[in-house]
Amino acid sequence: MTRPRALSGHARALLAALLAAGPRWSYGYELASLTGIKSGTLYPLLIRLEGQSYLEAEWQQPVAAGRPPRHAYRLTAAGRRLALAEAAAVDRNVAIAGGRAGEAAS
Amino acid sequence: MRLARLLAVRILSAASRLLPRHLSTWSSAMAHELIAIDDDRAALAFAAGCLRAALSLAIAARVRSAASAVRTLLFPSAPFSWSLPTMNGISARPRLLGLLCGAAAVGIGMAYMQAAGAPSRYLLVNLAALVLGATAWLALGGAARSRLAGSGRATLAMSAALLMTAGFGVAAEGASRWVSVGPLTLQVSLILLPVMIILYARRPDAPGTGGMAVAALALALQPDRAMAGVLAAAMIVVGIENRRRLPILAASVSAAAFGWTLIRPDSLGATAFVDRVLYTAFDVHPLAGAAVAIGAAALVVPAAAGLWKGAGDRSALLAFGACWSAAVAAAALGNCPTPLVGYGGSAVLGYLLSVSLLPGGARRGEAAAFGSSAPRGPGPDDILSELRAAPSA
Repeated sequence: MTRPRALSGHARALLAALLAAGPRWSYGYELASLTGIKSGTLYPLLIRLEGQSYLEAEWQQPVAAGRPPRHAYRLTAAGRRLALAEAAAVDRNVAIAGGRAGEAAS
Repeated sequence: MRLARLLAVRILSAASRLLPRHLSTWSSAMAHELIAIDDDRAALAFAAGCLRAALSLAIAARVRSAASAVRTLLFPSAPFSWSLPTMNGISARPRLLGLLCGAAAVGIGMAYMQAAGAPSRYLLVNLAALVLGATAWLALGGAARSRLAGSGRATLAMSAALLMTAGFGVAAEGASRWVSVGPLTLQVSLILLPVMIILYARRPDAPGTGGMAVAALALALQPDRAMAGVLAAAMIVVGIENRRRLPILAASVSAAAFGWTLIRPDSLGATAFVDRVLYTAFDVHPLAGAAVAIGAAALVVPAAAGLWKGAGDRSALLAFGACWSAAVAAAALGNCPTPLVGYGGSAVLGYLLSVSLLPGGARRGEAAAFGSSAPRGPGPDDILSELRAAPSA
C-alpha cells in the first residue's frame, strides 16, 4: 500500500467527512452533499481510495420497500490513520499560520 | 417521467457505457444513487457529474493501456515467457495495434524525411496529425463497441462532403481533391473515405450504400484514381464477404467509378516527400528505403493480425486491410500520396480514424482479472426499469 504524495483539498474534505462518520456507512450522494464535492470529482476519489485500501465499500439492502440497494462506504483502519494524519497536518498548518499572523501583528 | 429525470437517466446510461468494464460496480453504484435522489434537478446535476467522472476515468484507462503497450514494444526486456503472451494479447486487439502501427509508420516517415532534408514544417504537420488522430482514437472508444445505428446517415453526409470537394474544392492540374484550411491543404477523401469504408463494412445498410455510391461518383468527378481504387477494392471485399444485394451494388458502382478514372487522364506530377516515397527513400539510403517499406506494410498489420486471431468483426477487418493495401499499392504504382510514411496529415488522420472504428478485441488483463462472469454495469434499459420501479418522490 502506498500513501499518496499530496492530497487535494477535495480528498482531504472527503476523508474528513468519512472520519466524522466513524464506523457508520455513508452513501455517495450524502457525501457529495456533506462535502460540497460534485459527483464528477467524488467518484474518481472514492475509486482511488478503495483501490488503495483506504476505503471499504459494500452493497446495502434498502430500508424502504421498492428502493434499490445502495453502495455504501466507510474508512478502513488504514484510511482512518491517513485521515487522522491529514487532519493533524491541517491543524499544524493552521497553528503555524496563526503564529505567524500573531508575530506580524505584534 | 419528468424531462429532467429522463435526461438524468440518459446521461447516466451514457456514463455507464463509457466506464471501463472493471469499474462496472461503480457504474451500478452511480445508477442506484441516482434513484435515491428525489429532487430532479439535483439528480440531473449528479448525472452530469457522473458523466464527467466516467469520461476522465475512461480516458485515463485508455492512456494507461496504450502506454503499457508502447512500453512493451519499446522495452521488450522482460523474460520471453512473459513478453510473448503480452505481444499475443496486443495482436488480438486491432484498435490498439492499429494505433501502434500508425504511430510507428509516422515515426519512420519522420525519420526518413529528416534524413532526406525535408522542411521541418513537414515533420511538424505529420506529428500534429498523429496527436490529433490519437486523441480521436481515445474519444471514439465507445463507437468501436456500439452498434452504430446512425452510421449509414453519417456515411451519406461524408459522401456529400466528397461531392462538394469535387465541385468546389481546390483544383490542380485538372483534379479537384483538396480543401484549404488556413495554411494547410487537406485531401478530404484520404480523411473521410477510410472512415466511410469501415462504417459501411460494419453496417452495410441502404443509406450507407447510397453514401458509397455518391462517394464513388465524387471520386470519378474529382477525378482521383488512387482513392477510387481504394474504394473499389474495399467494396469488392465487403461484397464478397457479405454476399447481399446492397454490398454487391456498392461494389459494382465503386468498380465502375474506378474504371472511369482509369480512362480519364491523370497528369498530376510527383510531389517530393508526398509521392513515390517508396522509391525515393532508397536514394537516401537502402536502410531508409527498407524502413519506409516496412512502415507502409505495417499499415495492414492490424487487419492481418485481427483476422488471424479472430478478433471481432471480420468484414470491417477485411475492408480495412483492402483499403490500406490499395492505398499503399497506389502509392507504389503512381504519383499518389504514400500514406503515413510520406508527408501529409490527411492520411495520418484517415488512418487513425479508421483504426478507431476497428474491433477492440479481447482485453487479456480484464478477462484474467474478472472472468466472463464479471458484473456488468447497468445498461440504459436496466436503469430505466429500476427508475420506473422506484416510488416517485
